[in-house]
Amino acid sequence: MIKLIDVNKIYKNKIKVLDSINLSIKAGEFVSLVGQSGTGKTTLVKILTGEERASSGKVWIGDWDITRIGKSEIPYLRRQIGVIFQDFKLLKKKTLGENISFALQVCGKSSSKIKKIVPGVMKIVGLAGKENRYPDEVSGGEQQRAAIARALVHQPKILLADEPTGNLDAINTSEIIDLLLKINNFGTTIILVSHNREVVNNLNRRVITIDEGRIVSDRSRGKYII
Amino acid sequence: MFLSFLRILKFSLQDISRNVWLSVVTVTILVLSMLSINTLILLRAISDNAVVAIKEKIDLSLYLKPDAPESEILELKNKINSMERVRAVKYTSKQEALDFFRDKNKNNPEILQAILELGKNPLSPSLVIVPENVDMIPDLIEELRAIDSDVVESRDFSDNRVLLEKINTITDRISDVGFFIILVFIITSLLVVYNSIKVAVYTQKREIEIMRLVGASNSFIYLPFLFSAVIYTLMAILIIISVSFPLLGILQPYLELFFVDYNINVVSYFVENVWTIFGWQFIGISVVNVIASYLAVSKYAKV
Repeated sequence: MIKLIDVNKIYKNKIKVLDSINLSIKAGEFVSLVGQSGTGKTTLVKILTGEERASSGKVWIGDWDITRIGKSEIPYLRRQIGVIFQDFKLLKKKTLGENISFALQVCGKSSSKIKKIVPGVMKIVGLAGKENRYPDEVSGGEQQRAAIARALVHQPKILLADEPTGNLDAINTSEIIDLLLKINNFGTTIILVSHNREVVNNLNRRVITIDEGRIVSDRSRGKYII
Repeated sequence: MFLSFLRILKFSLQDISRNVWLSVVTVTILVLSMLSINTLILLRAISDNAVVAIKEKIDLSLYLKPDAPESEILELKNKINSMERVRAVKYTSKQEALDFFRDKNKNNPEILQAILELGKNPLSPSLVIVPENVDMIPDLIEELRAIDSDVVESRDFSDNRVLLEKINTITDRISDVGFFIILVFIITSLLVVYNSIKVAVYTQKREIEIMRLVGASNSFIYLPFLFSAVIYTLMAILIIISVSFPLLGILQPYLELFFVDYNINVVSYFVENVWTIFGWQFIGISVVNVIASYLAVSKYAKV
């Protein structure tokens, strides 16, 4: 499903952020990507979403070689990969319902389809009845749920979660992880980038550890080792 | 396609209404810039009108012999009137000249007494010649000098020539300096407008980032901002139009007082040129705003 072959990323200042990354993630897997700050985890996520390009190597998403993806193709790639972030990235001036609908509107989905999809997704993430609340009017956990709902509206095959629990307390963290597991059970591949040792260890799923831009460990039922 | 267009328009109007203070500030800056541009246009209109009015006041006087027979004077008048460069000829008889002189000096008893003591009318009859165009005066003077008539007493037009040259020099300078000042002002205003739109877009860089994130196509990212830029300009131009005419109405009586005997009407100038003045401003500032928005958005919409 996702394949990286000998991927390197070197920035203009000659700093090598990713060094010979070889990685294969099967459809429906739940993978935790761990490592200290500045080790290249986020750069890897950015390469998968087309925000950054690999300096060398090959990146495949399914049958799609995105290594040299054109600018006009990037919106289509992003509709197939859901992404959530630590800071939720919700539009403050739009309600939760509008934030979620927005992802469909900008892709040209019809209003009737949007009206059908949005309540369903909001129900899955546990936000039913909160469509008209603004992000500032709900908790951090609920904002992250809305961000997940927005990422899910395109029914992506892959969901990239870049430190999704970084701004949340223990209870909300647990709820968000449960939600990610639920989504994974539907068959969506989850790549969780996290610093949270407890979260990663409790998952007891595949863990890929990156250090100084290299994969130093890849275990199918791994633990947070750094 | 139509659905996308409606959505883009909806996003644009939503952005404007939900960022109401930012919209107010942006429109205010646009209004102030347009106000300064229109003030310069107004000054230019006043100076142009004043110069035209002054030029229209320039005429040539041909003084005739006091004892010239009326029939010969009228014959001369008709002859001059038929000249190509002449718009009108007015005959002022000796008596009319005296009446006008008395009226003009009615508050000066010493001059009126002196006329009385003379016992006869010392003034000459004259023909006041209005040229078709003030630029034709030098040629007209030559033509008038060449007229062969016994009734002409004086053909000294030198003062008018000097005046004409002075007016032409002043007009040219006003034109050059005015154009330069307007150009500088317009460039300054456009730079202010450009920066204010860039700031407006900057405040929404997070929105642009999120649009990219959810897979919005470029048209969905750019067009709402470009629409907003045009809507801001439209709002500003409507405000400036609704403010300009009452202000011009207030100004007009003062101008009439200042330019007594000259027909200067700035209200009718703006009414007659409303599409030219405000239409071009709308187009020009819209273009600048759209370019500024495009550049600002592309800065934050990098893939």
